[in-house]
Amino acid sequence: MRFINQVIELLTSGKYMGMIFSGLRLTVLISLGAIALGLFLGTVVALVTISKKNCFTAVPKAICKVYITIIRGTPMALQLYIMYFVIFAIRGFPQILTAIIAFGINSGAYVAENIRAGILSVDIGQTEAGRALGLSSVTTMVNIIIPQAIKNVIPAIGNELIALIKETSIVSMIGMYDLTQAAKIIGSGQNMASYIVPMSVTAVFYLAIVYLLTFIIKMIERRLRASDKR
Amino acid sequence: MISVRNLYKSFGDVQVLKSLSCEIEKGECVVIIGPSGSGKSTLLRCMNLLEEPTYGEIWLDDKLITEVDPYLHIEAIEKSRTFESLTSGGLSHDEAILKIKKDDLLHKSEGSEFSKYCRGIYKENHLNINQARQRMGMVFQHFNLFNNLTVMQNLTLAPTKLKLRTKQEAEEKATELLNRIGLYDKRDEYPSKLSGGQKQRIAIIRALCMDPEVMLFDEPTSALDPEMVGEVLDVMKTLASEGMTMAVVTHEMGFAREVADRVLFIDGGDIAEEGTPDELFTSPKTDRAREFLSKVL
Repeated sequence: MRFINQVIELLTSGKYMGMIFSGLRLTVLISLGAIALGLFLGTVVALVTISKKNCFTAVPKAICKVYITIIRGTPMALQLYIMYFVIFAIRGFPQILTAIIAFGINSGAYVAENIRAGILSVDIGQTEAGRALGLSSVTTMVNIIIPQAIKNVIPAIGNELIALIKETSIVSMIGMYDLTQAAKIIGSGQNMASYIVPMSVTAVFYLAIVYLLTFIIKMIERRLRASDKR
Repeated sequence: MISVRNLYKSFGDVQVLKSLSCEIEKGECVVIIGPSGSGKSTLLRCMNLLEEPTYGEIWLDDKLITEVDPYLHIEAIEKSRTFESLTSGGLSHDEAILKIKKDDLLHKSEGSEFSKYCRGIYKENHLNINQARQRMGMVFQHFNLFNNLTVMQNLTLAPTKLKLRTKQEAEEKATELLNRIGLYDKRDEYPSKLSGGQKQRIAIIRALCMDPEVMLFDEPTSALDPEMVGEVLDVMKTLASEGMTMAVVTHEMGFAREVADRVLFIDGGDIAEEGTPDELFTSPKTDRAREFLSKVL
């Protein structure tokens, strides 16, 4: 009973809701920025890693390999610290940009591997058929392989984006005021004096964001599957 | 039309084709037969460079589509350092050339004269592979229709992307060809909704939409249900009777007998025997051909 009363109190208090919404705003901003950066970076890295090795691609390929190894092999929190305390330790550099870059670079490595797997999962015969008609490798890639690969990678990319949104909660570790941090501050405040209430409310907010994202991904997937029997 | 000269192809340590040479003349239907693993498909795939030959040259009319193979050009060998050192070592001109060819003695760097000569041949005769492929239609064992595109889009993608036709012209041509094979009502279906025979017939007309000068068929009926083989063979027979230049790798001996102008029997990476279907099927000269035919006929 007391729990419900406190939830109502929190939801009707302008001050608390203001805190939660400003936290939500930051979480959403960081997520969107990181998703955009991650998808872009991941696509570029994936295309470089599957390209044929020759004197022009050897160096970029090596860089991409190192990038994926390091990013996937170290903890996200550590990467965020390095970005914040070392690389972008410039006075006045916007914190939110630091976070977007850190999460975008992290996500890019995972997205790259997903996209690479997706492209490799398209039958080699599709490439051969395109090339045998005289199409260039780029035209074949753009018109035939990538449309089919995207279909295959949407579920995996969706997974990655969901994980990314939830992972942004660690920005509180560099003192940023996101949704999780808002809940913590409300909980430790004198009036509320309870963690369970703000934490539960915040959990519902995260759930709602992830649910919305899942819904969008399902919709995209359905549309892309139009050419399949399944 | 297509001239294959001294073709070698190996995958790692496995040598698939060894010193194979053949010609496909304009308007001719050549059927290539042989036991599995003999290199039939590899030969066909080398013709449009889906496989890169290890050595050897492939010419489309008077244009070179592979790299230059110096062993095929005596003038090139004569300009090499190896030749120089061999002749100064006492060998005669002919002996030196024979020795170089036999023992594969040419290195990467054979002096500037040699490289210049090879580059010269390449520059003079080279044809970009994408342009060469536009003139060579290819039909695959597993059809390889583009799964993300409808039948009509499959047929019009290449001609429009390569700016050979406007979208409207491409669709007119595709419509005409679809009508010929009686599949016009399938124009808006995706490949996953078609039977194997339908897919293969559409794959054939997809190649024809490019107005190719020669068609390469890589076991076009091997992945089909027996009842669908006939419909695909009929399309190919019509093509042959219209005078299309064709190279067909197949296990359909009936087709070879009926349609082929010439049959190549390949075994162990080289042509073991060739001749008209009558010669080859009724009185094969080599033991290997006789043995193979007794198994498949």
